Amino acid sequence: MAAIPSLAPSLPAREALLRRGAANVGRCYQCATCSSVCELAPAEAPFPRRLVLLAQWGLVDRLAADPAVWLCHQCNDCTVRCPRDARPGDVVGAVRSLVIEKLAFPGFLGRLVGAARVSWPLLLALPVLFWVALLSWTGHLAVPAGIEANWAYEDLVPHRYIYAVFFPVAAWVLLAAVVSGTRFWKLIGSSGQRQGSLLGNLLPVLTGVATHDRFAKCTAAKPRRLGHLTLLWGFVGAAVTSGLLIVGIYVQHLEMPLALAHPYKILGNVSMALLLVGIALLVGNRLGDAKVAGASSAFDTFFLSLVVLVVLTGTAVELVRLAGDADLGRTLYVLHLGVVMSLFLTFPYSKFAHMLYRTLALVHARMTGIDMPKQ
Amino acid sequence: MSATRPRPLLVVGAGIAGITATLEAAEAGHEVVLVEREPAVGGRAIRSHHYFPKLCPPSCGMELNTRRLERNPRVRVITGATVTACRESNGGREVTVARTPAFVNDRCTLCGACSAVCPAKVKDPFNLGMAEVPAIRLPHPYAWPKRFVLDRDACPAGCRKCAEACTYDAIDLDAKPTQETIEAAAVVVATGWNPYPIDKLPELGGGVLADVIANVQMERLAAPAGPTGGKILRPSDGKPPTRVAFVQCAGSRDTNHLPYCSAVCCLATLKQAIYVHEQLPEAEITIFYIDRRTPGRNEDMLTRVAELKGVHFVKGKVGSVVAGADGSLVLKAEDVELGRIVETRVDLVVLATGMVPNLKSDETPFGLLRDEDGFGVEGAAGVIVAGVARRPEDVAATTRDATGAAAKACMVTGRSA
Repeated sequence: MAAIPSLAPSLPAREALLRRGAANVGRCYQCATCSSVCELAPAEAPFPRRLVLLAQWGLVDRLAADPAVWLCHQCNDCTVRCPRDARPGDVVGAVRSLVIEKLAFPGFLGRLVGAARVSWPLLLALPVLFWVALLSWTGHLAVPAGIEANWAYEDLVPHRYIYAVFFPVAAWVLLAAVVSGTRFWKLIGSSGQRQGSLLGNLLPVLTGVATHDRFAKCTAAKPRRLGHLTLLWGFVGAAVTSGLLIVGIYVQHLEMPLALAHPYKILGNVSMALLLVGIALLVGNRLGDAKVAGASSAFDTFFLSLVVLVVLTGTAVELVRLAGDADLGRTLYVLHLGVVMSLFLTFPYSKFAHMLYRTLALVHARMTGIDMPKQ
Repeated sequence: MSATRPRPLLVVGAGIAGITATLEAAEAGHEVVLVEREPAVGGRAIRSHHYFPKLCPPSCGMELNTRRLERNPRVRVITGATVTACRESNGGREVTVARTPAFVNDRCTLCGACSAVCPAKVKDPFNLGMAEVPAIRLPHPYAWPKRFVLDRDACPAGCRKCAEACTYDAIDLDAKPTQETIEAAAVVVATGWNPYPIDKLPELGGGVLADVIANVQMERLAAPAGPTGGKILRPSDGKPPTRVAFVQCAGSRDTNHLPYCSAVCCLATLKQAIYVHEQLPEAEITIFYIDRRTPGRNEDMLTRVAELKGVHFVKGKVGSVVAGADGSLVLKAEDVELGRIVETRVDLVVLATGMVPNLKSDETPFGLLRDEDGFGVEGAAGVIVAGVARRPEDVAATTRDATGAAAKACMVTGRSA
């Protein structure tokens, strides 16, 4: 006789999910309406009903190994139709936050960001204070006397400090992401036989992400899709602008600040506009119908607030330079560097990490063929 | 009020609950007035094709009941009437009963001369609007009191053809509404229920697709006195279906619709599966369910249906019903036992919808406490709630409940007499 697999229900895990937005998980009676109305669920491995059942029992190990957790885009079409108001969309959202914590490297940072409800002041203030301390120590905290009217931010904070901080930060974040991503890739590997290469399947997945083609199948979350897509392209534009500026400074030897009509500047400002519009749409969505928007746990709110702060301080930094107020510009620039650093450092542990896990899950779904439309 | 004639008991609603309460109290020696809104008694039960679990038509039991009503001198039945006020009075209830005009009186012999000349057609309320009937007609073959009824609102202006055709002087087109006040010792509220409207379930095709019908409509399709003479046919093309799906908990146990379980839909579906199979033995029947609630001996029905050839059970609530390419209907659900999405193509979909208590929407004159779903809660002195007005239940439970209500009412009557 085959061995009967044993389950290890976990009350603490269930309680952690309740706190993270799955408050109604206990109401689910497994009718499976949610799976049948989900446009993203593969026919042969539907969700979210199965995930809600696992969540009710606190079976985090199984949830961590289930790619469906990430195939879900939290359309909330399920939540709108759920006859028990169990809010499956929120349940799977809470599961994602717990899985991010579980896979985090190192674990204590995952727990620190996972506890954003209490740790957020620390997560925001430490990087800002770090910059205040660094600039104070190197004598750059004060605005230099006799600064030109057409000052650039390099006159306030030399680029070498930014490189000295952000390159190691980026390397560290990359390491943490690779370790967590590898853990995740191994875990979900048990859910199907993969064919082809990761890289070979990455491109079509990224093409889909670029248009949010899966998100487009959602009904309830139509407004969120637009905000999310706009924000994504704003971030892409901002990252490309940063790369171009390094080329501009060190290869082309361009004079900073660039004129507003310079192509790099135009790209940067367009990206900024996209970020502003995207974040406004997403915040607006959160303030609307709670069933459609989904629960706003501290984990969600922390990441969203961080993005808001990055975008707003970034915008303000440029406007203040154009207005010529160097004192205010310095203050805002330090704030901006601080919140950007917080965004970077928390990437593998905050909601930001969905970028990593969802991409990998989509690649896995492609390689295993579970996501192929039924013939 | 004389000392020799005790105040009667007043029963509101002549469905199976009200009829049972009336007969039990009357046969125990009490005077009873039974008030019914419709022109004939029988309520929802008489609109069923079969009772479960015995699978017999309700008309024969109902005939016994109406005969008991007719022969009992202590019973007075007022049809076409509603209660508009119910005040506390001398330890009992002073009840105002408003009667619709009696256009057809008891000289009617059911000859049908009026129907034959009637130019106006109305949707037949007995057949839930699935057929058209003349504005003047016998409400249905089992109607009691046996008397024609006229939908006066449907009459063309100035038309008096029916009155002219009647040779028994049974039609008075100028009849006026009347009203009377009854001093009752106690009131039994047995106002029953209405089916949850399927047009509130457009995602399941309700009110959108012609071949998506409610379970109560299925009863009419199968009944000999129904719109198809008892033949189970698709409403869209009049053909017998070869694939039939039942969608359980359609708008029930659902916080977006009726949050409660109506207690009868599982068994109603099993019953319907049996008679669909009997009439169409080749038909494939698929029953989509969350739970199969068949308490007590009713579980035998489940065993019986599960053994029928062509009957399939799928655990999983249907999320959507859409029109297929060839006039079929496609249901989408997750088969929970297999853990995958199934798309099932059928010809006819029956939505197993629940019961909405009439007390919920009616401006109730009874001074009753109601629960959050609109069911009556006992509380007011001298007012007793019975049947589905109190909670969802099947006919067997309703008759027991109504018997209990009659006993309670008799105790009150006994005290005040």
